[in-house]
Amino acid sequence: MQHLTTAFFIVLTAVVYNLVRRLSMRHHNHPLLNIVGLSVATLIGVLLIGDIPYSAYEPASDIITFMLGPATVGLALPLYRYRAVLKRRATALIGTVALGSLAAMVIAALIAHFGGLPREVNISILTKGISVPFALEISEMYGGIPPLAAAFVVATGTLGAIFGGWLLTRFKVGDPVARGLAFGTVSHGQGTAAALIEGEQQGAMAGLAMILAGILTTAMAPAVVFFLDLL
Amino acid sequence: MPPSVRFLLQTALLILVYHGCARFVAWADFPIPANVLGLIVLFVLLCTGIVKEKHLAEAAGFFLKHLSFFFVTVGVGLINWGAVFYDYGLVLLLAIVVSSLIPLYVVGVVTQKLGEKR
Repeated sequence: MQHLTTAFFIVLTAVVYNLVRRLSMRHHNHPLLNIVGLSVATLIGVLLIGDIPYSAYEPASDIITFMLGPATVGLALPLYRYRAVLKRRATALIGTVALGSLAAMVIAALIAHFGGLPREVNISILTKGISVPFALEISEMYGGIPPLAAAFVVATGTLGAIFGGWLLTRFKVGDPVARGLAFGTVSHGQGTAAALIEGEQQGAMAGLAMILAGILTTAMAPAVVFFLDLL
Repeated sequence: MPPSVRFLLQTALLILVYHGCARFVAWADFPIPANVLGLIVLFVLLCTGIVKEKHLAEAAGFFLKHLSFFFVTVGVGLINWGAVFYDYGLVLLLAIVVSSLIPLYVVGVVTQKLGEKR
């Protein structure tokens, strides 16, 4: 029975994803038809309406997530194809991602702090823009709540994937390198997946930004936590 | 080699690189997550020519095209945190949105400006 349920949820996830993807493509990736956002909303809706506990869905999630790591590793290929851009613009790319990551950390923590949230929540929200493994590590180190940190990462990634492209167009950012870099800096792998839908170059730059943001955020976190504790 | 076999072998290569790195990270308590280390390792392998594009092009292309799919199940996990978002919803939403919006603008606009100067 357990295996049957798991198989059912895997198939359901794949079907929902495919239907939403087709719908989204037909409407030129309209932000309200975002593939991840709408698929997640549909599946959460199914669980809520059917009164199904998350624990019933979890095994299916674990099996699908098994391929997330290997799929992410595949980003090496677009990065390799655009290595000339990396070499030519290395300093600028690293500098901008560092600036963006620092701003993301400080702004999130300040709003949470002055919004009256407890310290462990403020620490957990610091890392909302970087990949889950990085976020867990930092949260653990400075007294955050690791699962909550992961939830913030996913919430940020989902919002970034939904609105990132639309916002960048509003900001008149047309350069594929700039779009990809912005996507990856603020919304890690989920932003990278959205950037890949725009194009390979956007995806390559988002992947690069995701790596840099993770490493740079880890490096800058102690200073930000120190500053936060002074408030 | 039939395309399906080639695809499976390429997928196996991606799994090998990732899970090899995951083992190493766990064993050495390495400070960089396995997916990032794996990406860097594979990038270096491509640059040195040990792995060629043809050894992974189809599988990597397929998984990257559908990378969003793997985040769907991750996103469903947010269902567990409904209560936290309900209690502190407004502040959290504000913190997440503003702290994403400003860096998105800064990184996008600055990178574009720096690119134009060349």
